[in-house]
Amino acid sequence: MPHATVVKPANLKALWKLLPSISPKRKYLAGGTDLVTGANTGLNSAETWVDISDLKELRGIKETAAAVIIGAGVKISELEGSRLVGRWLPVLHAAIPHFASPSLRNMATIGGNAANASPCSDGACALCAEKAWVWLELKGKRRKLPLAALFKGPKKTALKKDELIIAFEIPKWKHEGAYLKLGPRSYFGISKVSVAAALEMDGGSVKTASIALASVAPVPLLARKTADYLAGRILNEENARTAAALVKAEVSPITDVRSEAAYRREMAGVLLARALGRIGRRGENL
Amino acid sequence: MENRRGGTFNIRCAVNGGKVEREIDPSRTLLEFIREDLGLKGTKEGCGEGECGACLVLVDGKAVNSCLMMAVQLHGKHLTTIEGLKGRDGGLHPLQRTFMEEGAVQCGFCTPGAIMASEALLRENPGATLEDIKLGLTGNLCRCTGYEKIISAVEKAKQLL
Repeated sequence: MPHATVVKPANLKALWKLLPSISPKRKYLAGGTDLVTGANTGLNSAETWVDISDLKELRGIKETAAAVIIGAGVKISELEGSRLVGRWLPVLHAAIPHFASPSLRNMATIGGNAANASPCSDGACALCAEKAWVWLELKGKRRKLPLAALFKGPKKTALKKDELIIAFEIPKWKHEGAYLKLGPRSYFGISKVSVAAALEMDGGSVKTASIALASVAPVPLLARKTADYLAGRILNEENARTAAALVKAEVSPITDVRSEAAYRREMAGVLLARALGRIGRRGENL
Repeated sequence: MENRRGGTFNIRCAVNGGKVEREIDPSRTLLEFIREDLGLKGTKEGCGEGECGACLVLVDGKAVNSCLMMAVQLHGKHLTTIEGLKGRDGGLHPLQRTFMEEGAVQCGFCTPGAIMASEALLRENPGATLEDIKLGLTGNLCRCTGYEKIISAVEKAKQLL
């Protein structure tokens, strides 16, 4: 038993009203796949969990003229079947089969995935490559951050106490995407390294690029120098090799139970070259 | 759902087709609720971390790991456990039969979870390919059968559903 009590506000307004009356040792409960796992293994420090899993304000995948808006409470399996995700967010779409198991995808939310701030998060890595912004709310006041700026370290975020992730706003831009993950198993494993590549193409050339990596830095990492290098260049083998060398210099992996730093660094380059090759072959450049 | 004095919750839900209303401790997981409060022992606890799939049940027709869901989150929803699976004739469900016929059961500990994962998969994708079946079972660990027999059982059941 997790030894935390659960309270369940009916809506956001009720949530902000409720918080002063409950223990300050509190955490938000959404899909539970990280929070309850931690509690089951003795890692829970909260006395109260605030169940936000049914809050309507966090639901739904919508579009505006310029962006796709994904509610923080949207389950990963809902993203899998979404027409908007399939059409506008090719990197996120490609990442979903690599995200845990089918049953965990039915439970885990995209907001919880970001709030957990794991450096190996597939969802956060893919959304960073998609140039996502994140909307936060605290006591009725909202603010917006680039998603990459939310992450401050392993399990550390820019969220203030009680601040809640409300939604992700991802700009619509015409791009190709790939997501490659290397783990101990083909599927359902925590990655040794993952690469998310989003390329806006102009014929055989890269117009703009956005590259993110997981498990090779304290946070989901945006490889800005590598992306800048690719912009304006032809997507061919030579440029992919140079980009792979650049990304190896941008990552700062560690050795831990899952892999070694040197292997992660090397494979970051290999996976990026493969991801670029996969996109390039669609345009028959590589 | 009411938050009663003393911190208990009154939840109403459907379990294997029947209505259930219980006052529960909000710190109970769904797995504890199923096994200890409802006495349905078919659902197993393996790792407690979402890795093994022994605790898989269906909530509103979707597979979930009951060790990671809180019981209060079941309020207003439909729960199906292995005890709730039945064939059209009221006997064994086709997956239960094909798991036996194909030798997909050895120690049996993972079997309820593997069957529930397979049921969720075939409900959503009745024409599941071999690859779909393998992907559908990625969250279920079996240390006895080597998986081939489980996959054969699901392929066989697919023809019978």
